[in-house]
Amino acid sequence: MVFKPRPAQERVIQFRSGRMGVLAVPGSGKTQTLSYLAARLIIESCIGDDQEVLIVTLVNSAVNNFASRIESYLRDMHLMPGIGYRVRTLHGLAHDIVRERPDLAGLSDRFQILDEHEAQNILETAATTWLQTHPEFINRYALSNNDSRENRASKMDWQQLVVQIAGAFIRKAKDLQILPHQIYQQIDRFNTPLPLIEMGHEIYLNYQRALNYRGAVDFDDLIRLALQALRNDESYLDRLRQRWPYILEDEAQDSSRLQEDILRLLTDAGGNWVRVGDTNQAIYETFTTASPEYLRRFVEEQGVQKCDLPNSGRSTASIIFLANRLIEWTNHEHPYSELRNALLPPLIQPAPQGDPQPNPPDRPDQIYLEMKKYQPDDELKTVAQSIRKWIKLHPEETVAALVPRNERGIKLVEELRKYDVPYIELLNSSHATRRVAHILVSILNSLADPSSSAKLAQAFLAVSRYPKENPTPEGQDEVGNTLIRKCPRLEDYLWSTPGNEWLNQLEAEGHPQVTLTMLAEFQQLVTRWQLATLLPIDQLILSIAQDIFTQPSDLALAHKIALLLEQFASAHPDWRLPQLIQELMLVSQNQRKFLGFSEEDTGFDPDQHPGKVVVATIHKSKGLEWDRVYLLSVNNYDFPSTDPQDIFIAEKWFVRSQLNLSEETLAQLSALAEGDTAGVLIEEGVATHEARLNYARERLRLLYVGITRARKELVITWNSGKQGKSLAALPLVALKKSWEEEYLATTV
Amino acid sequence: MAHLTAQQAAISTAPLNSHIFLEGPAGSGKTTTGVARLQHLLESGVPANTILVLVPQRTLAFPYLEAIRQPDLPPGGEVDIITIGGLAQRIITLFWPIIALPAGFRHPQKPPIFLTLETAQYYMASLIRPLLEQGYFESVKIHRNRLISQIIDNLNKASAVGIPYDQIGQRLKSAWIGDPAQKTIYDQAQECAIAFRRHCLENNLLDFSLKLEVFTKHLWKSFLVRKYLTQRYRHLIYDNIEEDVPIAHDTVREWLPEFETALLIYDSGGGFRSFLGADPLSAASLRESCDESVLFSGSHVMPPALSEFRISLTNTIQSKKALSLSSEALSSFTIEHHRFYPEMEHWVCSIVADLVRTQNVSPDEIVILSPFLSDSLRFSLMNRLNEYEIPSWSHRPSRSLRDEPATSCMITLAKLAHPQWKMPLSRFDLRCALMQSIAGLDLIRADLLAKITYKETKPEEGLSSFDRIQPAMQERITYWAGERFEQLRSWLAAYQRDAEIEPDIFFSKLFGEILSQPGFGFYNNLDAATVAAKLIESAKNFRRSIPKNRPPCGNIYIPMIEEGILAAQYLISWESAPRQAVFIAPAYTYLMSNRPVSYQFWLDIGNLGWWQRINQPLTQPYVLSRRWNENTVWTDAHEFQANQESLSRLVSGLLQRCKKHVFLCTAAINEQGSEERSPLLHAIQRVLRHTYALREAEDGV
Repeated sequence: MVFKPRPAQERVIQFRSGRMGVLAVPGSGKTQTLSYLAARLIIESCIGDDQEVLIVTLVNSAVNNFASRIESYLRDMHLMPGIGYRVRTLHGLAHDIVRERPDLAGLSDRFQILDEHEAQNILETAATTWLQTHPEFINRYALSNNDSRENRASKMDWQQLVVQIAGAFIRKAKDLQILPHQIYQQIDRFNTPLPLIEMGHEIYLNYQRALNYRGAVDFDDLIRLALQALRNDESYLDRLRQRWPYILEDEAQDSSRLQEDILRLLTDAGGNWVRVGDTNQAIYETFTTASPEYLRRFVEEQGVQKCDLPNSGRSTASIIFLANRLIEWTNHEHPYSELRNALLPPLIQPAPQGDPQPNPPDRPDQIYLEMKKYQPDDELKTVAQSIRKWIKLHPEETVAALVPRNERGIKLVEELRKYDVPYIELLNSSHATRRVAHILVSILNSLADPSSSAKLAQAFLAVSRYPKENPTPEGQDEVGNTLIRKCPRLEDYLWSTPGNEWLNQLEAEGHPQVTLTMLAEFQQLVTRWQLATLLPIDQLILSIAQDIFTQPSDLALAHKIALLLEQFASAHPDWRLPQLIQELMLVSQNQRKFLGFSEEDTGFDPDQHPGKVVVATIHKSKGLEWDRVYLLSVNNYDFPSTDPQDIFIAEKWFVRSQLNLSEETLAQLSALAEGDTAGVLIEEGVATHEARLNYARERLRLLYVGITRARKELVITWNSGKQGKSLAALPLVALKKSWEEEYLATTV
Repeated sequence: MAHLTAQQAAISTAPLNSHIFLEGPAGSGKTTTGVARLQHLLESGVPANTILVLVPQRTLAFPYLEAIRQPDLPPGGEVDIITIGGLAQRIITLFWPIIALPAGFRHPQKPPIFLTLETAQYYMASLIRPLLEQGYFESVKIHRNRLISQIIDNLNKASAVGIPYDQIGQRLKSAWIGDPAQKTIYDQAQECAIAFRRHCLENNLLDFSLKLEVFTKHLWKSFLVRKYLTQRYRHLIYDNIEEDVPIAHDTVREWLPEFETALLIYDSGGGFRSFLGADPLSAASLRESCDESVLFSGSHVMPPALSEFRISLTNTIQSKKALSLSSEALSSFTIEHHRFYPEMEHWVCSIVADLVRTQNVSPDEIVILSPFLSDSLRFSLMNRLNEYEIPSWSHRPSRSLRDEPATSCMITLAKLAHPQWKMPLSRFDLRCALMQSIAGLDLIRADLLAKITYKETKPEEGLSSFDRIQPAMQERITYWAGERFEQLRSWLAAYQRDAEIEPDIFFSKLFGEILSQPGFGFYNNLDAATVAAKLIESAKNFRRSIPKNRPPCGNIYIPMIEEGILAAQYLISWESAPRQAVFIAPAYTYLMSNRPVSYQFWLDIGNLGWWQRINQPLTQPYVLSRRWNENTVWTDAHEFQANQESLSRLVSGLLQRCKKHVFLCTAAINEQGSEERSPLLHAIQRVLRHTYALREAEDGV
């Protein structure tokens, strides 16, 4: 892999010691630059025998991307890959830290990380119980009877709201490193009731108790505990500092406080730290405690070398114009001055002359900023038809349809199916989870009812369609499926007695050798699994998984499923296969999601899928690029600007005074943790207002991310929303104007 | 007594008044000498019952047990081959009337009840339950059963080291560096330990810790007892003293002058049971109490090439200068890398098959080792080897009884035999039980049988007869299986006609009269038989440890097993003998079986388990040892140092037990689907890099 750095990249690659902050624009090659830097540090022996360059990034897909790039640079330089570096997400790093010394974090070596779904279950139980015993909460915050609307939200609405507030509360509390009993001590200081915090505290307390009971931690605990382990034992910290003399941090704009704290601790005593990011692409604030402020402040710190990567060869001049125009408009012309800091320079500059990866030739005719007001369904229909047409004309090129929310993506997929458009989903409910769970379900179903030919045939089909080194010959999966389905007595196939061998019978009937071999191989697998039914469920699943799955993500996922089912089994000792299969079916039917194990999380390459449209949320599209991009739903509901008519998802219609109760609670919690009495007692509504601003800022950046995913062609559409009242998003209106008046007028 | 070196022969035939301290690395022929000494004593006319052979763990007694079974030995009494705990129990039983009151037991007139680890867990569980409800151990993220076993472990370690049991908490607290909240947990663990001890004293219960304490504090100090012991035992052979606890060393130190002869055997690289309280340093100090000290060097086991690899690897782990390897040393081991864990397993089994089939290696000359042995790994390895028709066996001391399929089989049959217990029984349990009970019965036929002969809604009806099944279906199930099924069914029916019996007796009958018979699943199935034996022993111990004058206790015992409280995880494992089979085991378990082999396979050397000690939030083996200075804090520097030392000891111990070749296997993605890099992997890489870098430099020159 030949990498010829640009001059700006060269400055980063020359880094050898100290601290450096790099602001990079989309498509500026930061992954390549950072991986190359890591490889150089290893090659030039900047690290010792027992040391590693630590690369910290945001999502699992980036982990694999980094690892394979570094590996390839090292091979080019005739070095053994796999030694001298470690690429991790923050969760991965926290896991490494805690896993090596679980005792420092108060854990046993067999601690379990609770699956998101289980954690959610616990949270829901705790929150629902709380609400049942505190009905006054609803009276306190519900719209008064004089208010319009049907007036009464259902109990369910309130339950969901309380679950959501409590979930945010617990996450925030863990980010602030504050435990239930500490919150309790703080609350005790106030004479006035603090209903929101008291609610959060009680649910948090019960949630943690339930976790302890299971000997488990959740993902947020993992990070909190890693920091705790480092703080508790200086000599452990020293050892890790010695192990990781260089820390290269990617996507630093999405760093959370704890991430910064951990990395700061690790680099404090003379460690070397490079943080690379694009504050304009910070789009995780709403869901997490991340903030681009950490990177902004870091870059300005004394002693930090500041460096920009402003050149990008990714997109055409038209797309660069739109992206830059969005920054400038936000910066200088946004009607709400509080939002003007949402996007900041550097602007994107095209690749310099003679660059090995020049920008594609400009195609202004392939930019569509559609101002037509579509009904929601019409928007999907129009886009689906357009994609179908486009794919036919450009079978070798790549295309994505990006949506602001998951539900919208699911609807688009339904529409694409109607038109037979080939698609790949990168939505939260991932295909990989379903595939792995589906295969396991079909096998377990057959094991639960081992004499059923139909169930075994189903399992055969699922297994034979799993990609493997020697794939099942074309059409043979169907042949095998049909034959097994017709097998009258499965024991003659799997456990035949002399003279009754079903396979011999098939041979005598003249079935081809390829079919017989395939069935014989499957027989071997099934007999092994049938013997394994004597094992506890987790071991049964692992045994099956080890026989079928080859993808690391699938193996990992199977392990996670095994652990999940083991938890269920130990919580319900009377459960047997059928009940456990029920649980697994929920996974396979997509009602349960796993984070971090899906295909896209472990390295999705859009260029591998020409001729198919990738449907993704804008969040999931980060780091990826396509020849043509559709951006849907760019209206003032998904991209609000704090206009008076804007409606905010987080403000529930049944809560009085349009309060954003989550944000009100979190603001009080932060103030409480900081000992800020005035902040705790601040009037209602201030936090709600602040949250609107933050949300509007983040959605501007989300739009920016969406636009910069496109290489050559871009289509933006919007719709009128469910109530028919939504409008085109303000930035879209502004871009349309600039596009026509500035770009088209001057360029074309 | 053939094949002894001159040095070995000299020790084994040393005069009948010698006190010898024999020291040397593993494989240098020490135990062979010990066994020869035993034979010499017996042949010299020393009465067998005056000889005491002391070992820290039963597995280490094997060579001695084997020796006294030899038919050519002179007739006479029996040599006592025993652990310190076993000796304590025997003496307590003997002298109970005079010791019960001074030792603080509430009812000295009643007999003592000795607890096994699991019956101790049962009592601890019932004591802790109300405390847990009050919020004790709230922040500890471990399973309840492990919590219980760690509190018991604390008591055991305290008694083994000689720390007063009410000072455990204080000691752990003062060494703790982490979250201060943990200190409350140590206090709570202490409170439970004290409550448990009190309960034991009130009810004449003696767990391992109390046995040791009563023996060392009261019995050993009693003139009468000491006179009995010193008169009874005149000759001592004490092997693997480095694996024993300090309190045992103390006792032997005081006792030594009384013995006519003594041979103390010390493995200089040992100490693998440190996490259970073993103390090699305290063992080494016994050297001063002997008249003569002999040092064995060299190895009868390990070839020079492996010895070179061992030294280079342990040097690297200990951060000494890495030594480069000669070509011979490089060819004494193989490193095999695979991306996925199952690929690695495949490869290992194929190599084993090749060794056995084409190179005529006996299967018992091969071991497959990993830091932990999950059921899944054990199962898939054994199955794959089975496909190659290579026998294998495994041993995992920490495996809980309820996790054994053979246990669930016997429990299911017990439930069927006792409908009066009204314990739920599913068709799935039944088919598993049938699969295991009837030899060769597959899942499909077992499922059909279970479906047809048992109604979940009418458990009181039990199993219906095979004869009532339609002929076509009978044929599918096979008459052969049907016949066995009928035998089993009739046995259960016959049992129900009589009065209920105690669970251990029931299990013995079930095993002896049915399951172990030809045609049934436990026949010639040593693993299943071992589990059955454990279950019977566990049930017997349980029965003996609860009050008498009550109905049979099966309905109390079975739920305890199912909850995992009674786990039959014995501290001292009284079992296992090598067989003609490939041995699959956790690395430490293999070490403690002390049996050299020609070929070793080390699985997943990147696994942190090779390096890390088992973490126990309620206890700490180093802080609860005699060496620990009470005013010091246990930091990561200590942890790191301790882990490096134990890794070095482990690697050294394994290689010293390898006669020919070791296969080091890595998997990039481990069993759990994540990447791990252990210091073992790093050390091996360093040795190789150093070796090849040096070679390249030389070639360059």
